[in-house]
Amino acid sequence: MPLDALKDVSDDALLVAYGNGDADAARALTLRLTPRVLSVATRMLGDRAEAEDVTQEAMLRLWKMAPDWRQGQAKVSTWLYRVTANLCTDRLRRARGVGLDTVPEPEDDTPGAETGLQQAARAHALEQALQHLPERQRQAVVLRHIEGLSNPEIAEIMDMSVKAVESLTARGKKALAALLAGRREELGYEDG
Amino acid sequence: MKMAEKKAFDEAELESLFAAARNTGPQPGADLIARILVDADSQIAAPVAPVADRKGLVAAVLATIGGWPAAAGLATAAVTGLTIGLVTPDTLDTLSGGYLASASGVYQLEDLLPSYGDLLGEG
Repeated sequence: MPLDALKDVSDDALLVAYGNGDADAARALTLRLTPRVLSVATRMLGDRAEAEDVTQEAMLRLWKMAPDWRQGQAKVSTWLYRVTANLCTDRLRRARGVGLDTVPEPEDDTPGAETGLQQAARAHALEQALQHLPERQRQAVVLRHIEGLSNPEIAEIMDMSVKAVESLTARGKKALAALLAGRREELGYEDG
Repeated sequence: MKMAEKKAFDEAELESLFAAARNTGPQPGADLIARILVDADSQIAAPVAPVADRKGLVAAVLATIGGWPAAAGLATAAVTGLTIGLVTPDTLDTLSGGYLASASGVYQLEDLLPSYGDLLGEG
């Protein structure tokens, strides 16, 4: 079956189809969900190779859980984000004490002010600053402001109240603003 | 990272940073996709055989009573019962002490109701 034919099928239905032995559904789900998992994992861990390992592990757990999935019981992406967050937390705990000190400082040859390069420089600077946030703040900010999830969904993923999510994202943004203040000019923002 | 006396980012500026991150997010390479698909193939459920959905009534009954061995036992019991009913073998009569033979050949009414004989004698 061409993958285009599955583009309007929900994650939920695809997962049930995979659980019933449909390999095309697995391909569609992989192409749809892998970028999102990799995005969160990379920003949580600050390490591409580790993030890829976590992405593969999270997807493997999805495949294993598929036969027991009941359509309509939850959002597949919420379940997957939650698994990803837990896997990232486990890795960060194992590596605690190493991470923050080894986050590379901005390089001197950061790309200039041309639009495309400036976008890349801004994204790079943000990702570096994210690594300086406490783990839960980082997770909430990434899910809310980069992945674009709603606060109730983040609350479900992080197993906390919506109020707590709002508080985490607010504190996270405040910390990011302070962390990046010294790089305004370099990132193309008017200073002062 | 310098933390000098600089103006902090406002809400709109922070949003432009998040937008930049969204636009330049990490994309999975072909190798990662391939590894995930290999995992998916290894975990895929065996497809349900189409014949399984077309099982008839016999198969359903068999499944209920415990398969072919149970059906064989049931058939044997049925044939045995039929034989006993039609032939009434002597050995069975002996074993049951005649209690299974017809009541009229074994018991008289006086046997079951002794006072009935007296009543007949008086009559």
